Amino acid sequence: MPSIIKVEIKRQASPDSPAVTEKFEVPYRPNMNITSLLGEIALNPTTITGQATTPITYDSNCLEEICGSCAMLINGKARMACSALVDKLRSGDEPITLAPLSKFPIVRDLSVDRSVLFENLKAVKAWVPIDGTYDLGSGPRQIPQIQEQRYPLSNCISCTICMEVCPQFNDSTNFVGAATIAQVKLFNMDPAGAVLKEERLRALAGDGGVQECGFAQNCVEACPKQLPLTEAISDVSRDVIFQGVKDFFTL
Amino acid sequence: MATTAPPAPASSTRIKGVQPLRAGQGNSFLWRKLHSLSGIIPIGAFLVEHIVSNFETWNGPLAYAKQVVFLNSLPLVRVLEWGLIFIPLAFHALYGVFIAFRGRSNVNVYPWAGNWMYISQRVTGLIAFAYIIQHVLRQRFLGVQLPEHPGAAFHKVQVELSNPWMLAIYVVAMIATTWHFAYGIWLFAAKWGITPGDKARKRFGYVCAGFGAALCLMGLISIYSVVYKYPNAPEDVLPEQPASISLPTPSPVPAGSTNPAQPGEVR
Repeated sequence: MPSIIKVEIKRQASPDSPAVTEKFEVPYRPNMNITSLLGEIALNPTTITGQATTPITYDSNCLEEICGSCAMLINGKARMACSALVDKLRSGDEPITLAPLSKFPIVRDLSVDRSVLFENLKAVKAWVPIDGTYDLGSGPRQIPQIQEQRYPLSNCISCTICMEVCPQFNDSTNFVGAATIAQVKLFNMDPAGAVLKEERLRALAGDGGVQECGFAQNCVEACPKQLPLTEAISDVSRDVIFQGVKDFFTL
Repeated sequence: MATTAPPAPASSTRIKGVQPLRAGQGNSFLWRKLHSLSGIIPIGAFLVEHIVSNFETWNGPLAYAKQVVFLNSLPLVRVLEWGLIFIPLAFHALYGVFIAFRGRSNVNVYPWAGNWMYISQRVTGLIAFAYIIQHVLRQRFLGVQLPEHPGAAFHKVQVELSNPWMLAIYVVAMIATTWHFAYGIWLFAAKWGITPGDKARKRFGYVCAGFGAALCLMGLISIYSVVYKYPNAPEDVLPEQPASISLPTPSPVPAGSTNPAQPGEVR
């Protein structure tokens, strides 16, 4: 095992400054992941030419693929940095390349602004409306079969990888992305959340809605939490169509 | 029970990059679904009819001419032609180009099967569009008018395909069009929620692949028939009858005689 790992990182000091690539050499330790590698650089932020630089800015929190913060392009592909193991990434003497997600505004270095997902979740009301001025009591019973269908969808960590890898998610379609559609299915299947079902479906028929999906199925391939995203898109599409037809004849 | 949250304060700061969902706004859902539906009905249905009709070339120029006569004898045939073929096809093609150029294919980065099919659907659509423009112009609107001269159909296509470049274009377009249609059926089922499950989608994928392959094969056999099976087809197998062999005009009938076609009727 070589004792040095070569890393090339695409950096950007501010949202509007030009991007530069900096090269680093990091001492190898067994079982490193990309976040520990970035921590290693932060300990000694010196480029390969010996030039002193700043530590790499990146989002991270839980370091165990639960919080969804540390998505980035690792060797060109969108992945979670915490679950990307250096031992599995290295091929020969090739450097590991890190870059920010390409479809979100850059804040600094590897940190991007993913608030579009939050806006989308708000637009489809991805919540169960239980706030009130008095105690609403216990919620309706949820049968185990529904729980089993909902559980995989509840694993979404809002990492936006499904959106990053989607050919339809771009500034020309402004597609909402798979994560939001999956959350619509999750909350529509909730016995208490279903009260907003029609509003969610109507929202998803808006411009940039579920119709923009091209079924390239990259989302379901890339999802680190293996959500059944294509199934959710298919189910929600049908519901949106039915809602549209129903509204056409009844509203 | 509070069913709605208080309205979120309008954020004045516009996010950069991809914009959020415009909940419930615009008509793109309707147009997109019409595009999807028009690909199956009427365009897909017409494609099947076209390939099945063309398969009559296997039985020779006369059989093919009879098929052309039959199709042209359909009631309101010009209305059918424009309403069920030209107008939906033009919409599907133009909106499809709009869709294709709004996608950002990344199959170079993520070379997965579904991603390849995504780009293939756009490429085959563009091939079919370019082909159909020249096909409709040259075979429907230019040259011998087939609705008036159905017997000339086989010869017209044979002349067209005598050019090896044109033959190659027809073969490529046949594969691209049937590919686009077969995957289009699969996409329709997936995107309209007919086949949501992974297994259902996979199974239906085999069905669509088989159907598309059968259509493509029939089309290629028709091309083979026109080019190789019946060389030197006559220019018009159903020529207009010359006046000399038309039915003799009835001679003046003497008054009081009976009509042989209607015995008993006394004129």
